[in-house]
Amino acid sequence: MSVGAPSPAGVVGRSADLELSDAWLVDPASGREGGGEIVVRDGIVESLRWLDGGAGREDGIVVAPGFIDLHAHLRDPGNEAAETVASGLAAAAHGGFTTVCAMPNTTPPIDHAAMVAAMRAAAESSGSPVRLLPFGTATAGRAGERLAALGELAAAGAAGFSDDGAPIQDGELFRNALAYAGMLGLPLIDHPEDGTLTVGAEAHDGLVATVLGLRGCPAAAEANAVARDLALLAEVAAEVPGARLHLTHLSTAASLDHVRRAKAAGLPVTCDVTPHHLALSDEWLAGARRWAWQALDDDGAARDPWRDAALVAAPYDSALRVNPPLRSATDAAACLAALADGTIDAIATDHAPHTEVDKAVEFGLARPGIAGLETALGVLLEAVDTGKVTLRRVVEALTTGPARVLGPAGVGLGGLIEGAPAELVVFDRSARWTVESSSLHTRGHGSPLLGRSLPGRVMLTIAQGRVAFEDPESA
Amino acid sequence: MDTAEAMAEIVGRRRPRSEALRGVGVTNLFYEASTRTRVSFEVAAKHLSADVVNVTAGGSSVEKGESLLDTMRTLEALGARVLVIRHATSGAPYLVAREFGGSVINAGDGRHAHPTQALLDLYTLRRHLPGASLLGRKIVILGDVLHSRVARSNLWTLTAAGADVWICGPATLLRGFDAWAAAGVGGSRRFTVTSDIATALRDADAVMALRIQQERMAAGLLPSLHEYAAAFALTAERLALAAGGCLVLHPGPMNEGVEIAPDVARGPRSLVTEQVRNGVPIRMAILSLVTSVE
Repeated sequence: MSVGAPSPAGVVGRSADLELSDAWLVDPASGREGGGEIVVRDGIVESLRWLDGGAGREDGIVVAPGFIDLHAHLRDPGNEAAETVASGLAAAAHGGFTTVCAMPNTTPPIDHAAMVAAMRAAAESSGSPVRLLPFGTATAGRAGERLAALGELAAAGAAGFSDDGAPIQDGELFRNALAYAGMLGLPLIDHPEDGTLTVGAEAHDGLVATVLGLRGCPAAAEANAVARDLALLAEVAAEVPGARLHLTHLSTAASLDHVRRAKAAGLPVTCDVTPHHLALSDEWLAGARRWAWQALDDDGAARDPWRDAALVAAPYDSALRVNPPLRSATDAAACLAALADGTIDAIATDHAPHTEVDKAVEFGLARPGIAGLETALGVLLEAVDTGKVTLRRVVEALTTGPARVLGPAGVGLGGLIEGAPAELVVFDRSARWTVESSSLHTRGHGSPLLGRSLPGRVMLTIAQGRVAFEDPESA
Repeated sequence: MDTAEAMAEIVGRRRPRSEALRGVGVTNLFYEASTRTRVSFEVAAKHLSADVVNVTAGGSSVEKGESLLDTMRTLEALGARVLVIRHATSGAPYLVAREFGGSVINAGDGRHAHPTQALLDLYTLRRHLPGASLLGRKIVILGDVLHSRVARSNLWTLTAAGADVWICGPATLLRGFDAWAAAGVGGSRRFTVTSDIATALRDADAVMALRIQQERMAAGLLPSLHEYAAAFALTAERLALAAGGCLVLHPGPMNEGVEIAPDVARGPRSLVTEQVRNGVPIRMAILSLVTSVE
């Protein structure tokens, strides 16, 4: 099967046409989901009709607004062997994403205006209609010492600010970044990690790390940072009305509890979770390959994969090294519950491609990161199949949720709108495809899901009215 | 264990030599300093007439500029059929085993495992316990369990042999092990975790002291070696709490006066030298078993 093979030459960028009379439409912007028909002509959504009792079925052909990824590493410039803007956007389109926020930890980092312009130019020249929204760094050189040129970055088109994997440890500087970004009306995106607790960390601090002899990254490292961030946000928000904090890739029950309380108190905080933290757990490091929700006992505690004889693969697969690390199945369940109850606003991939040189090494020496743009939808549909979260909620967290997080840059994104340029993904809910190196567009090496079959084959992605990806088999 | 007994018979000869591995390339690839394990593997391989090559790499493969897999491919091209690997990173042997055509023997990886040490410990204990059985015997592993691959491998091995295993040390060096004890090794085989050395040693049939490293103070895990010795050193006085004839083991190298008192280390119950000696037949057995499977 040629799923994911490069789209036929000349298809990408072409003005899109589509006519589906028996689709399942999901439109979180209007709060509607159901059978209907959609016609796109010359890139414009010509008609969108909801049909009660229509032929469209939730497990059939689904049409949703194009997905928005708040967190992707495109590695360009500086590490083009791992990914380029062009390959990253192609991967995004294959995953159903029509908007990608690029993290600024490139080499050099996106910490001045010219870099933002260069990123946008690279996206333009890639020929992909997928929208690239660059984030700027929060501090100069991501060094955590002084603010980056936030105002100039914003003027050049930065959609927000983040030091991502090198989070600001200094509390005063973090507070200032929050206030200054707030003044500019842009979110500060924090990767919450108390670095004093994660020196040399290789894996989630739990049973699996103990048995495998891996240095632990405690859940407290994330919860500590989240608590600090929220305490500072409470003070800053009282003075700077535009201050907004977005916490990315939350992975622990404790952090989500903090966020839940902060939201209840009315703080301007949002957060996202990755598909891998929802669906995978630390037992994969030992060689288990069951989904996180299959690794829970009746009391919601993580099951012991040794007791269950659930170890089916070799341990220490460096494809699983990621930061934050894959947590316990209990934490993954807390993430899924927080997605369902709305504590989590968005699903972000933290797409972090690496070369074989950086990944085919000892576990503890491998660069952390999972290339997830193309497997996100399939993994999320597996979660939907558990009944613990609905398709509509997942689509929301991939569309209107992240659009709201973006604020100004997200206006107009995330809906199916008649008369507007089409911005959508069409996927076959029940068609499965197998994740193989040859079926992926990313240059990233070694997805932990290689060889696995996932539901929800993407048939067509349209961004800004133009074809971003088309499955040759369904063309 | 039976193969090791047969190997011990060979080792006991005036000219210990078997032809079992003649022409077989055995490469010792050591990324960490090691005297006893490396020499033990070398002697074992030579007793079996293997063609032994020793490779010691300073620092990690990354610092060296060549990846572990490239080094492995090079050694394989140079005739290695058995690769004995010692590495500072937990799990490194699995990476090598994924692509190596021959057999990989783990000679110690990070904090994870040191299987041949645990097997020689088991072999040594069997030779001294009545009926060569560990069933129900109380065996205490004492010291820096957190960082110890020897402790982890012995947890697997000794619980499998039916021993009542206790681990004991300062709370900072037992982190995470309560949860493992509750889950059980392999999901079922319980052991006991305590920082109360008197309870741990009471009626023990064997005690294995582990090396305490200077780095633990810098990392804030221990106040001082002096305080450690005062509270956790295996002394004659503490040993008196154990069962009469309690066996004393140490995987070496020892810090005498820190984790073990000199008189205990060289006392009548000490099996420390015998452990080293028994490493040879155990490794001969492993080498001959893995090559006979090929």
